[in-house]
Amino acid sequence: MSWSRGLERTFRPSMRTREQRDLFPGALEMMILRTLKRQPLHGYALVQQIKRTSNDLLQIEEGSLYPALQRLLKEELVKADWGISSTNRRVRTYKLTAKGAKHLEHEVSRFERMLEGIARVLAPGES
Amino acid sequence: MMWLRRLFSRRRLYKDLSEEIREHIEEKVEELVATGMSRKEAAAEARREFGNVTLIEEDSRDAWRWPSFENFLMDLRYGLRMLRKDTGFTAVAVLTLALGIAVNAAMFSLVSGFLLARPPGREPERVAAITSVNPAGGFLPDASAVSAPNYLAWRQANHVFEDMAAADAYRTVNLSSQFQSTADGPPEPLRDAAVSPNYFSVLGVSPQLGRTFSDGEDQPGRDHVAILSHEIWERRFGSDASLIGRTIRLNRENYTVIGVMPASFSLLGFPHQLWTPLVLTAADQTAAARKDRSLYLFARLKPGVTLDEARAEVVTLARGAGETFPETEKGWGAGVRTLPDFLVYAFGIRNALAILMTTVGFVLMIACANVAGLLLARSAGRRKELAVRIALGAGRLRIVRQLLTENLVIAFLGGAVGLLFAYWGIPFVRANLNFNEAISAVPLSLDWNVLLFALGVSLVCAVLCGLAPALNASRTDINTNLKDESRTASQGRSHSRLRRVMVTGEIALALFLLVGTGLLIRGIFLIAHQNLGFRPDHLLTAGVTLDNARYKEASQQARFVQDVVPRLQQIPGAAVVAVASDLPATGPNTVTLQVKGQPELPANQRLRALDVLVSTDYFRAAAIPLLHGRTFAETDNATAPPVVVVNEEFVQRHLLGHEPLGKQIRLDVSGSTPQWSEIVGVVANVKTHSEGSRDDPEVYEPFLQRPVSSFSLMVRATSDPNSLASALRSAIAQMDAELPLARVMSMPEVIEHQRGGDSFFVILLGGFALLALILSAIGIYGLIAYSVGQRTHEIGIRLALGARNPDVLRMILREGLKMSAIGSAIGLALALPLPKLFDAMFYGLYLSELRLYFIVPTAILLTAMLATYIPARRAMRVDPMVALRHE
Repeated sequence: MSWSRGLERTFRPSMRTREQRDLFPGALEMMILRTLKRQPLHGYALVQQIKRTSNDLLQIEEGSLYPALQRLLKEELVKADWGISSTNRRVRTYKLTAKGAKHLEHEVSRFERMLEGIARVLAPGES
Repeated sequence: MMWLRRLFSRRRLYKDLSEEIREHIEEKVEELVATGMSRKEAAAEARREFGNVTLIEEDSRDAWRWPSFENFLMDLRYGLRMLRKDTGFTAVAVLTLALGIAVNAAMFSLVSGFLLARPPGREPERVAAITSVNPAGGFLPDASAVSAPNYLAWRQANHVFEDMAAADAYRTVNLSSQFQSTADGPPEPLRDAAVSPNYFSVLGVSPQLGRTFSDGEDQPGRDHVAILSHEIWERRFGSDASLIGRTIRLNRENYTVIGVMPASFSLLGFPHQLWTPLVLTAADQTAAARKDRSLYLFARLKPGVTLDEARAEVVTLARGAGETFPETEKGWGAGVRTLPDFLVYAFGIRNALAILMTTVGFVLMIACANVAGLLLARSAGRRKELAVRIALGAGRLRIVRQLLTENLVIAFLGGAVGLLFAYWGIPFVRANLNFNEAISAVPLSLDWNVLLFALGVSLVCAVLCGLAPALNASRTDINTNLKDESRTASQGRSHSRLRRVMVTGEIALALFLLVGTGLLIRGIFLIAHQNLGFRPDHLLTAGVTLDNARYKEASQQARFVQDVVPRLQQIPGAAVVAVASDLPATGPNTVTLQVKGQPELPANQRLRALDVLVSTDYFRAAAIPLLHGRTFAETDNATAPPVVVVNEEFVQRHLLGHEPLGKQIRLDVSGSTPQWSEIVGVVANVKTHSEGSRDDPEVYEPFLQRPVSSFSLMVRATSDPNSLASALRSAIAQMDAELPLARVMSMPEVIEHQRGGDSFFVILLGGFALLALILSAIGIYGLIAYSVGQRTHEIGIRLALGARNPDVLRMILREGLKMSAIGSAIGLALALPLPKLFDAMFYGLYLSELRLYFIVPTAILLTAMLATYIPARRAMRVDPMVALRHE
């Protein structure tokens, strides 16, 4: 029946965009917060920094940073100010807020616990 | 108020965002240029690395808003824009839906007025209506009235009711002119309910003025108090507030007005104008009084008692009465319903409303199918637009939502226009639905129920019309559509298959409706032109109810009739004058009876016959032919041996064709000692109801042998009967100035009045069925026209390859014919059991009209062929050269 086929196709989430945007939900946000904790950066520098630190292992579409940044701004985990960069460019620099720092800590510990759990399951030999 | 500030600062946020993204790409470009790339290459590379700018900007903005609601608003704006652009489509779609919704809303106003209206009073669901269940069957046997002894006994013995009230609901009381003059209007019969003093408190209603009855006012001597309805207070007494405490004349006696009920106090089917106390004397408690079942009981449930518990108790009480008084109570049961349920049930309008709602439901489905077809056609035309939107990153869900929003706009526009139509239509329905006081008393309006219903219907329409086309459109294949190869690709198959299924369904529904309506119209026609068994022309009629004050005794009632007939005979132009308890063909009462020599049957199997009391010249006045024996003579009076005249049907059915003259029968008449009566004559059948085709066994008794207080006068005139009306009135006024005449009208008017509801009902149904046919024709036309348009290219190729015009015409016609034939077959199959169904719903309306099953499908096929032919002719005129270059 043509209807049901339509329904199925319509409501299946589109995998294409999700894969490229996030590794898992919240991962990109966590990386941004972690990077900003070290130093305030503007968008372009931020994405370059993440790419560099990850040794280009993580293929992040540069643009995908911005929706994440807007979400963080809204949650007041970061704040942004316009300024002039060292290369004399008008840039919007993002800075971690106190709330952001606390959120990062929480998220990292949660992530580590999760990672530990996964590692145990994946560890060879034991079962 | 963060979110509020955000709402206003959003523009700045978005500007920052765009600027930031622009700067980001700039920086990237510069960096790439620095590595030696050309500026153009660098710009392309930067964009590639960045991703879809528009989509990302949109996603980023999403962070700041309530996406679903704002998307909806955006869709709404977009939808409105698209609909404005395509005015023709919008107008047709909105109008189609408006018609469908209008008829539904207008008919639902009936449902709302009759079925959903909450009775007045406190917690009407906690009020139980207690009725008898008549073992002999008949019309609504389980809503029969209760006898006074049972009322008194049950009221005492039950443990489930706080209080129980009784109402003798169908009394007529004559309101005389107050000062024995006609200054304040002529005497007028009023619909009175004699109620127990606690009636109003059990229902939980209060008067607008004054008070209701108090305890003890049901005792003889204290019972001359009356409560007026708002209508009478307004019309007869000019809304005079000082009326309370004053005296009015009812049935020649002085009554004190103690209260006026508000206009809102009206129970469905009980359109009372007056309430007086119900006086129960010792005579009402005798065993003989058990046969007189005339009380409706209303009782308020004790807190915590359920309706089922109450029913169980009342049924037990009724069974007890059956054991104690087997002679009168055997087989009789009891029924308990909530007040709202009882009123609707006893009114017996459910079936007619069910038919009406089903019909308009079908009309709506047809309208929805048409609009869905239009949307499918339109979405095919919009494939490119959708492809562009999908290519730009719109998700499927988003597309479906956008299209559904457009449909919602169409449906609500349709709903709004439809409500406007309904707003005009409801007064029309109200004005034409007036064949009795109870029907006329129910207000109809575009109330909240109707509004909510229309809203719901609109929503359902939006989904019904829109989901399939929207899903279909969202499957748009970007590549084919953007490459513009669609013109050679044949129409999406599933797509036109869906439309075909819908059009076929429309035809089936239209056929079903037409056959159903045709059957009813045919039935009404047959009934309107049937031989009633008497001559209604030149008959003037009027109703008389003699009051107890002057005409309490049977002898007084007999004397009145003996006096009135010769007096009326004096009126110039009056040929024959007669008196009858019921006018011919107006559904007289039924009695059970026994034929001497036949075995006595149990209560529920006893023979039944209509029972009419007539004066000597009745058969001559009504022109009912005498077949055997004689009719009544003046000598058949109270002192003479009892005699009866029966009709032909009686002889056939109850005497099995045996010689009737000289046979003795005994009628079970309440309030009189049963005695054997001799059959002295046989007359031809008269229809039981002028609006039905039934012939029932009928017994005529001489009025003088069993006088009654309520009867009709019949005057056969030599000229226009209505010209005698004033002479009739003054003749009665001369006899008795305080005796009012009710319903002075000619017999054809009486019949018209009785049929009024039916013909209006059928006109409504016929209108709806026709609407369904027209809508289906439009549906077929739209589909074929569209498919011809789509196939222009294909037809061009066919013509170029040597197909001839007739071949093409045949091809297109075949397409239309196939759908109509399948649709008709389905519709016919659905319509086959209709006669049985109508017979079950309308007492004695069995219509097997075989011709209809040929006429209607033929008409449908012709209509469908016409709707197909117009676009098919266009296909024939396709010029191959033009068609192949098409686009």
